[in-house]
Amino acid sequence: MGLILIIAVVVLVVVVGFIGFFVSGYNKLVTLRNRYKNAYAQIDVQLKRRYDLIPNLVETAKGYIKHERETLEAVTQARNIAYAAAKAAAANPGDAAAMKSLGSAETGLAGTLGRLMMVSESYPDLKANQNMMQLSEELTSTENKISFARQAYNDSVMVYNTDREVFPSNLIAGMFNFSPAELFVIEKPEQKEAPKVSFT
Amino acid sequence: MDFFAQQDKAHRKTKLLVFYFVMAVVAIVIAAYFVALLLFGAVQAQHYQGRGAPPAFVWWNPRLLLDVAIGVLGVVLIGSLYKRNELAGGGPAVAALMGGRLVPSNTTDPNERKLRDVVEEMAIASGVPVPQVYVLDNEKAINAFAAGHSPSDAAIGVTRGCVELLARDQLQGVIGHEFSHILNGDMRLNLRLIGIVFGILCVATIGRVLLYTGGGSRDSRANALPILGLALLLLGSIGVFFGRLIQAAVSRQREFLADASSVQFTRNPLGLSGALQKIGRYSFGSRLESNHAPDLCHMFFGNGVREPLFNPLATHPPIPDRIRAIDPTWDGKFPPLDKEEVEVVRRAALSELKHPPPSPFPSIFGMPGGMAGVIIAAGSAEKPPVIKPHSVLPNLGNPTLLHLRYAEQLRNSLPDSVKAAAREPFDAVALIYAMLLGDDENRRNAQLAEIANRFSPAVSQKAATLFPDVSAAAHHAHLPMINLAIGALRHLSAPQFEQFSQTLQWLIESDGKIELFEFVLQKIVRRHLALQFTKARPPIIQFYTLRPLVPDCVVLLSALANVGNSDAAEIQKAFATGVPYLRTPDDADLVLLPREQCDVKQIDAALNRLAQAVPTIKKNLIEACIHTVGADGVIQESEAELLRAIADTLDCPIPPLVPTEQNQNAA
Repeated sequence: MGLILIIAVVVLVVVVGFIGFFVSGYNKLVTLRNRYKNAYAQIDVQLKRRYDLIPNLVETAKGYIKHERETLEAVTQARNIAYAAAKAAAANPGDAAAMKSLGSAETGLAGTLGRLMMVSESYPDLKANQNMMQLSEELTSTENKISFARQAYNDSVMVYNTDREVFPSNLIAGMFNFSPAELFVIEKPEQKEAPKVSFT
Repeated sequence: MDFFAQQDKAHRKTKLLVFYFVMAVVAIVIAAYFVALLLFGAVQAQHYQGRGAPPAFVWWNPRLLLDVAIGVLGVVLIGSLYKRNELAGGGPAVAALMGGRLVPSNTTDPNERKLRDVVEEMAIASGVPVPQVYVLDNEKAINAFAAGHSPSDAAIGVTRGCVELLARDQLQGVIGHEFSHILNGDMRLNLRLIGIVFGILCVATIGRVLLYTGGGSRDSRANALPILGLALLLLGSIGVFFGRLIQAAVSRQREFLADASSVQFTRNPLGLSGALQKIGRYSFGSRLESNHAPDLCHMFFGNGVREPLFNPLATHPPIPDRIRAIDPTWDGKFPPLDKEEVEVVRRAALSELKHPPPSPFPSIFGMPGGMAGVIIAAGSAEKPPVIKPHSVLPNLGNPTLLHLRYAEQLRNSLPDSVKAAAREPFDAVALIYAMLLGDDENRRNAQLAEIANRFSPAVSQKAATLFPDVSAAAHHAHLPMINLAIGALRHLSAPQFEQFSQTLQWLIESDGKIELFEFVLQKIVRRHLALQFTKARPPIIQFYTLRPLVPDCVVLLSALANVGNSDAAEIQKAFATGVPYLRTPDDADLVLLPREQCDVKQIDAALNRLAQAVPTIKKNLIEACIHTVGADGVIQESEAELLRAIADTLDCPIPPLVPTEQNQNAA
């Protein structure tokens, strides 16, 4: 008779242990997922600000740039592509396809912006324009914030992905469909170029 | 009732809770024992069937009692500890459970900005860091909660209905209610409640599992399991019932108190009453959708579950009672809410963004030019504000309308660059660094170079651009700036925080001498963020008497006496003025320490220990600090901020010290 009670107690402990293990593993994954989604929201705010700045920048530059107007069009186009990609990514942060296309769209935008800045070097009036100076200053600071927020996002994606893959939480991740999150990567060379929009 | 009495009460309530909890568990153990005894008897009778008479039925079977006790206690304990561990993350953990989405501090949505502004003002007014703000997107109803262990890890969550349907002053009433929970120590009590009820709930859950799994087996011996399961389910359910009863009883009381405090903060009963009326008028009321609602409903602003049939089980007083308690003019009707209300509120929020709101209160500052001059212009011609020592303590943890107005104006008068910087994680890092830069240009450049080297060149540049604005801001803008910036700093990733923290440490130590105020500022930043980024646990009360803490108090008071006094006699006098307020035992060793013996390291250790004292000790200590600093009759502005900073490290937020003349005008 005492045996039954002991068995019952053992069963109870095991059951509680299992429930606790599953629930806490699941909750941890949810917490980490929320964390990287929140981190993405930080990027999103800055990206939007940048997409708002670029048309103004193009508009200001238009008045001065006589040749190579296709550079301006390229910037506008790249901005629109990036804008759409960011919208898709914001709807589902961390989704592999969305993040990859955002990454390449941002790389493209950074490239065209860099070219615009190079072109504008040959227009001293444009460089001296008060509006242009403010806009590019604002753009630089937004780029800085984006790269900072991107670092935070990538850090939290790494933590989430690691937790997703290690035993035993990979079992739970598999059962409840926690899909891996994608890093937000902007290609190196252009990325180095882009923040240098200074006119001094 | 003052702040410390509230803290004490919350602390005593927790003890009472633990007592109730133990009683409930003992009752379950005893009941389970009798069930097991009957089962035991039945099985025995079966066993002896046809083999002669069974042994006499014994009521006292210590072996069985022990087994049952170990089983039940084990389950309850494991369950409670597990839940406690799960909620160790504080406010954000609860918000995540409820499906909350963190509102970015730089949000562009007008409704979210309204929410953020209201929370920021309330935080500055009460002197705590800006809590993390969550929106529960899935909840249509009007409701809100505050959760966490301490102001450092507090989170405020509001439902979508709440942001969309409440106007600014109504939202202010709701947020004031939640801040009362933050300041009065209710949040920690609430977290404990969840853990305790969950532990008992585990017994019922296991009973249910046994009932279903054991039923399939044909083995006659195993037949005891489903019966045991049924018994556990019943007992557990009864236990949960009593748990909910305790939950409701504690919660109902605190809700009335929080309503009253909210009106005291905002001095605008119509705001809170309007919010409550909207709940009554709205078809969804305050009902929550989440599965976790029954466990967490005592944390919410309004009743989150269906009205229970049995009145003592209600966690919140009925809405009409709450409205009448604060607004006797209410006509008692709930006309249904228009569909357009959402649009009306949104448009109001939009127009507020364009034109900052005309304050709903008549101005209480009769000074020409408003408060802006006093707040920011450190070097202006106005005479320095005078603060009398005796006016500080009553305000602790009790912000009033005066502080709220002050906070509103303080926030509005901060330079735009600083305000914007405090909301971006990246700029917030630069802002904190800018506050700690040296005045001397050479040293500053060296510091900036090192920041560029250790953190990032972009942050260093930003700190350099912020420096002129920051150094122009008066002393008493520093603590609010930090409290604002902490909200954004929470968005750093763990590696970024580590880097930030190390550079901060270097920056403090870099000038060779460490200023007390600088030191306390960085301590505040790190203390509030440590809960999130490291495994640190919030301090638990460990000291119930003053005796072991006397040396720490002496260190702190000696350090304070040294601030602003250079003359040995003055220092001695300041120290002697403060010491009696400690109310130490007679034989305590109270001797002023020389400057060298109360350096930053010792102060740091002392503050860490003092943070673990019971509220009454903290009260006496803070009183002693106030009188030490104010030994010369007045508290200078810089001294006042030092006091607030030190009180903050002890988890006793002091609202901004509003100069005395204005205090009298308001009264």
